[in-house]
Amino acid sequence: MAARSEAAYPPVSWKTGRIASWLVTVDHKRIGIMYIATSIFFFLLGGILAVLMRAQLATPNESFLTRNSYNELMTMHGTTMIFLVVVPILAGFGNYLVPLMIGARDMAFPRLNALSYWLYLLGGIVLWLSWFASGGAPKAGWWSYPPLSENLPYASPGHGQDYWILSIHLLTLSSIAGAINFIVTIHNMRARGMTWMRMPLFVWSIETYSILLLAALPTVSAAVTLLLLDRQAGTHFFLPSQGGNAVLYQHMFWFFGHPEVYVMVLPAMGMVSEILPVFARKPIFGYKAVAFSTLGIAFFSMLVWAHHMFTVGMPIGLDSFFMLSSMVIAVPTGIKIFNWIATTWRGNLIFDTPLLFALGFLALFTMGGLSGIFLAAFPVDWQVNDSYFIVAHFHYVAFGGIVFALFGGLYYWWPKMFGRLLDERLGKLHFWLLFAGFNLTFLPQHMLGLLGMPRRISTYHHGGLWEVYNLLSSIGSGITALAVLVFVVNVWVTHGLRRGVRASNDPWLADTLEWYTTSPPPPHNFDTVPYVTSARPLRDLRRRLAEQT
Amino acid sequence: MPTRVRRKLLSLLVASVSVLVTAGAAVAANGGFTPEAPHSPNAARISSAYYLILGFTAFIFVVVETLLVVFVWRYRSRSRDRTVEGAQVHGHTRLELIWTAGPVVILAVIASFVFYKLPGIANAPAASNPLRITVEGHQFYWQFDYPNGARSINELHVPVGRVVDLRVVSPDVIHSWWIPQLGGKVQAIPGRTNHIWFKADRAGTYEGQCAELCGPYHEAMRASVVAEPEQDYRAFITRTAAQTLGKQEFEGVCATCHGMQGQGGYGPALATNPILTQKAGLAAIVRNGRLRMPPVGDTWTQAQIDALAAYVSKNVYKGATSGG
Ligand code: HEC
Ligand code: HEM
Ligand SMILES: [Cu+2]
Repeated sequence: MAARSEAAYPPVSWKTGRIASWLVTVDHKRIGIMYIATSIFFFLLGGILAVLMRAQLATPNESFLTRNSYNELMTMHGTTMIFLVVVPILAGFGNYLVPLMIGARDMAFPRLNALSYWLYLLGGIVLWLSWFASGGAPKAGWWSYPPLSENLPYASPGHGQDYWILSIHLLTLSSIAGAINFIVTIHNMRARGMTWMRMPLFVWSIETYSILLLAALPTVSAAVTLLLLDRQAGTHFFLPSQGGNAVLYQHMFWFFGHPEVYVMVLPAMGMVSEILPVFARKPIFGYKAVAFSTLGIAFFSMLVWAHHMFTVGMPIGLDSFFMLSSMVIAVPTGIKIFNWIATTWRGNLIFDTPLLFALGFLALFTMGGLSGIFLAAFPVDWQVNDSYFIVAHFHYVAFGGIVFALFGGLYYWWPKMFGRLLDERLGKLHFWLLFAGFNLTFLPQHMLGLLGMPRRISTYHHGGLWEVYNLLSSIGSGITALAVLVFVVNVWVTHGLRRGVRASNDPWLADTLEWYTTSPPPPHNFDTVPYVTSARPLRDLRRRLAEQT
Repeated sequence: MPTRVRRKLLSLLVASVSVLVTAGAAVAANGGFTPEAPHSPNAARISSAYYLILGFTAFIFVVVETLLVVFVWRYRSRSRDRTVEGAQVHGHTRLELIWTAGPVVILAVIASFVFYKLPGIANAPAASNPLRITVEGHQFYWQFDYPNGARSINELHVPVGRVVDLRVVSPDVIHSWWIPQLGGKVQAIPGRTNHIWFKADRAGTYEGQCAELCGPYHEAMRASVVAEPEQDYRAFITRTAAQTLGKQEFEGVCATCHGMQGQGGYGPALATNPILTQKAGLAAIVRNGRLRMPPVGDTWTQAQIDALAAYVSKNVYKGATSGG
């Protein structure tokens, strides 16, 4: 079909230029790369904000940042990392990989796909333009709880918060369009022979990611719409002084917010499930257990939202329900961890950078998962909620877990995307620096929380252990930043200096279909797609080839 | 089970136990490894739940990370070629069942323990005739109302050993009441009344601070609970609270933004502003706020305003600058 339309409408010449061809592209690979590149850009921006915050917190009574600018940085860092980095970079990997992994030519709706990307970019620009809004950037935290986020003189006057709302709307639209596209693609366009039980686990995770997005995003759109009406049209949905209800927003936000956490972590887990077996030279241990625990986590993730709200004073019955449902989620998560570990058992572990990051994910995500059990037990959460213990917990999950997996994915699929392997020595330096810097930054924060340091404070006056742990954490953030810089240098050495080794179709001797085509793949992806006989079609092909010779 | 495997498992067990013991020693020294030393029965019960969870999670942590390290070491490729495959095992149903059931049991134990401790955490002891105090979270201070009508700012005085039931409210944005040694936290939400209780078991001052982002001075919203003998408490609510109210108000509320000497900071300097001597004008600003200044005194009584006016005109006002 595509061929026919191209014949009928020969490409307009301006559309073939070096830059213009990217602007008008509807190719899933180019869109995926644009998603990933944009997310990495925002990751660097969000990281700069983080390091500035840590500089402010390095010593007590510091006045490097004003209180308002601390709150702005904190809000922008959190919002950027979640909405402009992790969710879209996963959309980027999904875009690039799903059609290739299932042997399709493109996504089901290429134009809709391009729209998703451009809406995302617009949403990011709108959020970052808020620095120039009257009253400055939003400062009510990434949850933006009312009444603090309301347009009241003592809360959030000015327009920063409105930019935040508009940006969330744009990003929501982008993600919903993307999610529909993924679901349709995965359901209808799999290669012959690729039954559900032969589908790569990453594709499973993108399927689940999409379903969760569709289920959760409408609620946050509704919540921020009501907030916008409160702010601009004089309604008082969340203003108790006028008969509104401030807790309602919390329910709406977290009904979205908790599934969002799994939206971010499941595809990261999917990447680990792809990387580990390839570098252990084994099949994944317990394919079905991993696939079904993905679905199980997704299902239960819709039932745990109020574990973020144990301190609002809900009835004990509700607290108990949300404790139990949160504990239930720990079970499929544990299943995954044990299956990954079993995947390394009796393997032939090849220590290339992608494996290091995948193992780093395992080590650190375990820590984040275990600290989560303290939070599920709600009386203990009454003690640690909203303290630095939480900041430590979610960075172990979001950074130690998700971002490590993402770096693993970048090193793993880089040769497929760009035709060159990233430098291994710099890659290993990157990993070890990041591992050390990350732990130095976030491990002491558990202790800070238990010592009584609340999150989101712009300064503190305690000396003693507070000072020691905060200083360590700030030093760690510098090392972390250095590690990220090593990655940037690696990209530059590989491509800018063209030092990177040229990649063959399948440099890692991998299992899935994306390695069947050239690196990088041609616009139409595959000349032919083999019949899929198992969850590891490429290994099957290699073996058949070996048998013939 | 072959002996080799059994010996490995045994050494794994020994390693885990010794790590746990070391961890236990570190915990006893509390460098921030456990909640702060509890001084109220609910806080103590929360700590015991914490210890139980710490025990299980530390155990799981050690098992998982040890397995990971052991496997990574044992099965590293050692210059085997990439084409050499590892064991082609696809799974093991019994193992799947074991590592499903194991966590279920552990979580069930944790949940049961929480439910067992819960009544003693959530509910104040019955028949304890609690002292009822209202805590009002406010940008950016805490205000306490005692049964006899006395008020204090940022410093809550209570008798040692008496159950105190706090009604936690807020007139502006959400705050969160948290004194780590006296139990957990609870949000102060406009339009809602929440409860939390404690019973200080030892005389002393317990520090805490607001735990929910409430604006630029969230960081400055500190509270302390002074637990003292009954007669000191009586003296405080009948005399001292009223006598020092103006000072408490200025230092606990205004000074955050206007400086301890009224020299200015986030808000303009006040020390030379004649408005400090004009009660009506001062009351209007304090009650209604002005632009960036929040309505810090919107729930204040006339007595509070009087106390403030008397204090600032006498102690903060340094006379208008000449030549103006
Ligand atoms: C959150 C910070 C904050 C707190 C707390 C605060 N103020 Fe203010 N105050 C301000 C700011 C900011 C202004 C300047 C408002 C404006 O732009 O007009 C101000 C202005 C004033 C003025 C007017 C000064 C002038 O130049 O006319 C007075 C009087 C005043 N405050 C008194 C008080 C008193 C008394 C208290 C304590 C009860 C208090 N303020 C607490 C921030 C604060
Ligand atoms: C260089 C690495 C990073 C450092 C040093 C860092 C540091 C910080 C700091 C200091 C805060 C503010 C804590 C507070 O005041 O309460 C924060 C908050 C946050 N961070 Fe990070 N962070 C890093 C990476 C990340 C990543 C990769 C993510 C997500 C993928 C992330 C997500 C968040 C979120 C969601 C918040 C909460 C913001 C809020 O409270 O509203 N961070 N981080
Ligand atoms: Cu507060």
